[in-house]
Amino acid sequence: MTAAFSARVDAALASPTLKLAIDRTTGTARSKRAAAMAAWPEFNIARDLGRDIKDHVIENLEHYLVTFEKNAIASGAKVHWAETGAQACAIVVDICRKANAKSVTRAKSMLGEEIGLPHALEEAGIERVETDLAEHIIQLAGDPPSHIVWPALHKTREQVAELFRTHHRDPGALASVEAMVGSARRQLREKFMAADVGISGANFLVADTGAVCTVTNEGNAELTTTPPRVHIVTAGIEKLVPSTAHAMAMLRLLVRSATGAELTQYTTFHCGPKQAGDLDGPEEFHIVLVDAGRTRMLAEGLADMLRCIRCGACLNHCVVYRQIGGHAYGATYPGPMGAVLTPSLSGLEAAQDLPRACTLNGQCQEVCPVAIPLPTLLRGWREKAWQQGFEPATVRWAVALWRFLILRPALYAAASAIGLRLMPLFSRNGWISRLPLAGGWTAHRDMPSPTGGTFLAQYKRRMKK
Amino acid sequence: MSSARAKILQAIRAASPATSSGKGPIGAQAAALSARAAATRPERVSGPVDAAFLTRLQDPGIGATTERVATLQDFPDAVRRYLAAQGLAAAVAVQPHPELLALDWSGVETHHHIATDEGAAVGLALGGIAETGSLVFHSSAASPTLFAFLPLHHVVAVRAETLWPWLEDYATALATLPQPRNVNLVTGASGTTDIEGTLVRGAHGPGWLHIVLIGSTNAT
Repeated sequence: MTAAFSARVDAALASPTLKLAIDRTTGTARSKRAAAMAAWPEFNIARDLGRDIKDHVIENLEHYLVTFEKNAIASGAKVHWAETGAQACAIVVDICRKANAKSVTRAKSMLGEEIGLPHALEEAGIERVETDLAEHIIQLAGDPPSHIVWPALHKTREQVAELFRTHHRDPGALASVEAMVGSARRQLREKFMAADVGISGANFLVADTGAVCTVTNEGNAELTTTPPRVHIVTAGIEKLVPSTAHAMAMLRLLVRSATGAELTQYTTFHCGPKQAGDLDGPEEFHIVLVDAGRTRMLAEGLADMLRCIRCGACLNHCVVYRQIGGHAYGATYPGPMGAVLTPSLSGLEAAQDLPRACTLNGQCQEVCPVAIPLPTLLRGWREKAWQQGFEPATVRWAVALWRFLILRPALYAAASAIGLRLMPLFSRNGWISRLPLAGGWTAHRDMPSPTGGTFLAQYKRRMKK
Repeated sequence: MSSARAKILQAIRAASPATSSGKGPIGAQAAALSARAAATRPERVSGPVDAAFLTRLQDPGIGATTERVATLQDFPDAVRRYLAAQGLAAAVAVQPHPELLALDWSGVETHHHIATDEGAAVGLALGGIAETGSLVFHSSAASPTLFAFLPLHHVVAVRAETLWPWLEDYATALATLPQPRNVNLVTGASGTTDIEGTLVRGAHGPGWLHIVLIGSTNAT
């Protein structure tokens, strides 16, 4: 394990409030999802359909991108293409400058986080107002997001109250979560109406209409995209669906998997700028189509991962995420989906610990609404890390030694018999609390003293009976 | 950035060598996928569509209240009753829809623009979706988008004959209508679970949504 990852994990485990905060939100999310699935016995066939729709789009990605572009332009949108995150940020900042924008409202978009858009806007000297409640909280705290659906999941209600008391104009008593939400509503109301540019992401890009679909429960996306003169969408090129009907099939999967609801409170299809007669809506509508490593994933054999619809179910069900939270992953996308994405987006050498920080228990794949074989993809990264020599020398020697023995059964049996004889020497009252070469294991738990010989010896004995 | 476009499309071509050849035309594949959706839907919407719509809206997760009146002419009375029951002032922003403007709003102060902190607004939805209990709004001169997002209380009339059973039925209908700038599917009142997963209403959008169903499916 690299020192940086190890330090982040230690910090997470040492936090007195993090585990509590994670348990409160992921616990609710898991039980709500379970209830939604219990009421939807068709989930398994719906998931197969979701997988096949996304695979079909990825197999015909050029066709759907070009179709979407053509229809979006016909609706009056301006379509931009960005190979990298930096290019995408430059395009957005340039549009803001041309619009003479002083203030920008932003509706939560994980792609925006991935490409560093918040930072780019700040560097350009443009006021950035995060409008999703969770994004607002972490903007005040100066934190990165720790979950892709609940970015402020690491904050307890007490910590949120403290932030609002410090930063809000009219916080009131903040005695309840209701009061905190009310304070944020008052704080952001005028900001929505005063912004020059609104920026959103996209949950789906609808090829046959050129529309951009966003989903929220707060209504902040529409309040971000409607009043300003300019609306900019940043979207990954994998977000396409063939038609509105296909988007509906995907929405059934996305919302139940994310929050357990059947549909978000607000599901909006944005198509072009203000039309003749419209009383509100932006005069300019820009869509920035962003690659930022997606075509590389296609080339690297990670096409399955391009199905991901960012529901967050794999995070909520991951035993590792639930212990260490999102920040320990040190990347925009945490949890199982993040452990697959990050090595591709930021390079395997830097992110090699993430695929290893996994028990391969398969929960993530079980709950994934588009059936991404996450454990298989994580094992793929482990193999690549091994082939590229990123494992530390001690691990490589240990595995080489184990390989040498396992290929020689008699020797292996003899070696494990010796090991078994030695282990009781370290035991006290039947438990081993310190063992040479296994300090990492015994530091946090005891191991029972072995009895009854090796597995193979026991197996042979039983087969004789 | 047309060079970025060319490079991205080139990279896609290089990475996916004609994978879908032999699967038939793309449009036919997409249609075949759509055809599978019916079997994946939750088995719920059976019987009259209006009953299914109202039943769905009983779900506490949606956070809406409902009532039914016989005709659109009864809508202003329903609004007056709602305002009184909620202890609100008799003043509403009326969505500038010709059919709403033609109603008798006497006893209620009405205006046709929406303020940032509007207390209550009344609207007429283009239709509704029984499967999800959603209201459908298409932005236009008669249906500005912000009417569904700025008020604290939103009272919406929807005609029983404009209800679609399933999300896909609406999608099919959309394809035959002029594409609006915004399609807003509104499913209950605004909510957030961003603080410790606790559900709170009225995050940024309306905290209260009252739906007045006009007429019945059988009567039409």
